[in-house]
Amino acid sequence: MSYAPVLFVFIPIITAIIIYLFKKIRISLIIFASQAAMLIIFIFYVFHLKDNPNDALIVFGGWDIRFAITFYIDQLTLIFVGLTIFMWMVVLLYTYRINKRERNFIFFLLFLEGAFMGLLQTNDLFNLFVFLELITVLVTILIAYKKSGQSFRAGIYYLLINTLGAMFFLIGVIFLYYAYGTINIQIILANIAEHSDTNLVKLAYVFMVGGISIKAALFPVFTWLPRAHGVAQSTISALLSGLIVKAALYIFIRVNNQMFLAANYSMTEVFFWIGATTALVGVAFALSQKDIKQILAYHTISQIGIIMMGLTSFFATAQLGGLLHIVNHALFKSLLFLGAGIVVKTYNSKKVSDIRGVFQVMPWTAVLLIVGMLSISGAPMFNGFVSKSLIKYHDFDGNILKTIIFMLINLGTVTSFIKFSQILFGPKTVKVKDKNIRQHISMTIIALGCLLIGLFYLPIGQILNLDFSYAKLWDLFKFLEYFIYVGVGYLFYRFVIAKDFWINRKLREVSVTFENANYLFIVYMLVLSLFMFL
Amino acid sequence: MIKKLILIPLLGVILILFMIAMTDLESIYNNAGKVFFSSNAYLDTGSLNAVTAIYLDYRLFDSLFEAAILLIAVAGIMWISQHKIKEKNASFMLDKYKTPDLFITFSRLLYPIMLTFGIYVIVNGHLSPGGGFQGGAIVATAILILYYIDISKTIDVKLIITIEKILFLILLFVASLSFFTRDGLLFTNFIGSDFTQIKAIFLMLLNIIIGLKVALGLVSIFTAFLKEGR
Amino acid sequence: MNPILTFIVILIGIYGLATSKNIIKSVFCVTIVETGIILLFLNLGNFEEGTIPILTYIGINIVDPIPQALMITTIVIGSTITSLALMLCIKIFHHYGSIEWKDVLNKRSQK
Repeated sequence: MSYAPVLFVFIPIITAIIIYLFKKIRISLIIFASQAAMLIIFIFYVFHLKDNPNDALIVFGGWDIRFAITFYIDQLTLIFVGLTIFMWMVVLLYTYRINKRERNFIFFLLFLEGAFMGLLQTNDLFNLFVFLELITVLVTILIAYKKSGQSFRAGIYYLLINTLGAMFFLIGVIFLYYAYGTINIQIILANIAEHSDTNLVKLAYVFMVGGISIKAALFPVFTWLPRAHGVAQSTISALLSGLIVKAALYIFIRVNNQMFLAANYSMTEVFFWIGATTALVGVAFALSQKDIKQILAYHTISQIGIIMMGLTSFFATAQLGGLLHIVNHALFKSLLFLGAGIVVKTYNSKKVSDIRGVFQVMPWTAVLLIVGMLSISGAPMFNGFVSKSLIKYHDFDGNILKTIIFMLINLGTVTSFIKFSQILFGPKTVKVKDKNIRQHISMTIIALGCLLIGLFYLPIGQILNLDFSYAKLWDLFKFLEYFIYVGVGYLFYRFVIAKDFWINRKLREVSVTFENANYLFIVYMLVLSLFMFL
Repeated sequence: MIKKLILIPLLGVILILFMIAMTDLESIYNNAGKVFFSSNAYLDTGSLNAVTAIYLDYRLFDSLFEAAILLIAVAGIMWISQHKIKEKNASFMLDKYKTPDLFITFSRLLYPIMLTFGIYVIVNGHLSPGGGFQGGAIVATAILILYYIDISKTIDVKLIITIEKILFLILLFVASLSFFTRDGLLFTNFIGSDFTQIKAIFLMLLNIIIGLKVALGLVSIFTAFLKEGR
Repeated sequence: MNPILTFIVILIGIYGLATSKNIIKSVFCVTIVETGIILLFLNLGNFEEGTIPILTYIGINIVDPIPQALMITTIVIGSTITSLALMLCIKIFHHYGSIEWKDVLNKRSQK
């Protein structure tokens, strides 16, 4: 049982290869067997780990810790692993009937799960790089799966930009190896203060963080995300926005908040402003789009900005809020993407102005979409409220400007979802094509998850030993605040956005070419190193 | 034009940062790795080549995923290209009017030499520089030289891809045998004796499996590109 | 001197990425950056003299073998990414008729 993490990595991979090799369709029922097996092993492993905390470090081969590959499982890893198993179960349930004859699709999807589990659990920096590249290649193939012209161009843009980011991460790892003699994360964490004031280690930090911020879609270098979402199937969009981007944030937590913690580089202000800029730019672009999936894609960018504002602050409450927002965002963003997938398929069009009357045509889907929209805008009783109030709790250390920016971002989020919700009203225009029960079941499970975290966050926090008590749910003032947001947002939408001024048109047509994206990346790295070295 | 002119000083600043960082390197250079491997690698693993000892025994887990990324690349390229797997034959026929006779004759000479050299590099990976990955690339090149030989050879691509995936499963199986024979250690040598000559059998076996897998993978990538070009 | 030269190779690759108008040129610039990284890693360890890491006798002074093992993996990963990117380039040419970035990113496909 102490080798359960290895089983998490290899069960999906072996299942994927077996599905590829055998031709019978019945074999694909083995998918659900493997996911159920992983869930049971996960539950037993959590209890096992509570009793034997020494098992958290697994050394492969029994060699010296400095030179062997190790796995280190702590609470952060367990939260992510649980989220991954849940998301993959739901997504496989959603896509089973459509794609059960597409053996290649299920092969790549399950292999992605195995690689992702490996990334979350490994303790070795070079192994992290290998898993990162494996995930990049797999997601490229999944984006280009439909083999249309647009999928190929989105695929190659994604591949080249992300490879550049991973290469810069590798340069940072090289410098750390030569300074500390080992690439084991926990050993470097313990010894970081020895050489942390030399220029070599500072340059290593800049390269590692700069490389990883491409994959995390932070401010100047996020341009691959909307392109990738515009062409991918809704299943892949849900996974890409919900989990793959969070892998980069997980690496960011490990590097910034854990490994370099004792080095005291004081970059918290810089990352806060990068996060705030990301969030504002994301919301501004989201308000100008007319395509459903692009609105959701730009929203992902702005929520990542909010997560960065939480993760990089001084207060432990805000860091906890950022971590909770990662989990929440995975849930509600994938709910919205999966729902949008059903809507697009039924209406055969992607523009908001063409789709009307979802509430009459598909009522249950409409209810689930409303749950998603309420969660993302931070309504009380849903999970977005808990994480946003945790991030906001200390009022950003009394800084008025930061509080105003946070309120503006919330306002923008609410407005753009009012724009999105226009698809729900109106008369019935098309007929439902085929009712797919499994899709609705899977989306309902996620919606229940959102509600559960929203209402019962205190007991859940006590089980996990985390303190969520700063978010007060049954405070009348919070409900009032939310209604004020919705009101102001509706007025803003009616009088500004719906008129479609020229600035909206300009923002819609912005598209950054590949060379300019690289140029922006170089400027971003120089700005980071400026703040680091001066 | 202005973009290019501004770009060069920006890159120059990065270079100056790197040069400043280099001056620190001499003082904090840490050579723990060299000391450890020069004294322990032969006795622990049975290979004279320290690099093979690292990537086949100390860090075997990495090599498994390196083989996996090749597998995914082959599967992805097969899917993206118009190579329908149901077509069995990828014909290596040569454009007779374009290739000079000197090429054909030379390729006929080179083919057995390269094949033998590739197999030598794979099998002797633990005694001299070389190994599974390097030798596999040489064997793949040797098979591709057949493109220049005037034999219209047909290769069943579907069979090659199936064999490659089965080889990956065999690799996983051999790597995890040590869980049963060596008392709970995972991904290391399954032969638990102290004689280094016997331990080297594991390394040779792994090298042969990896070499075959890499060769088959590279050959199938090449046939996909050939098919696209027609 | 050697590490600085290899870093200049990496910077040449990045310069190429930021100014290339052709997709295949971008793919090759990524390969140049990756080759530069491999050379950088191997060259940084050259402070103390040593021979190749084959332990032919006890007490031999070898160079550090870990960078070499890690770079074998990096070379394989780099070649994988190059081959996948080139296959995508071929398909883009079939669909769009040209391989310049500005034609591909803004126009509609022709098939």
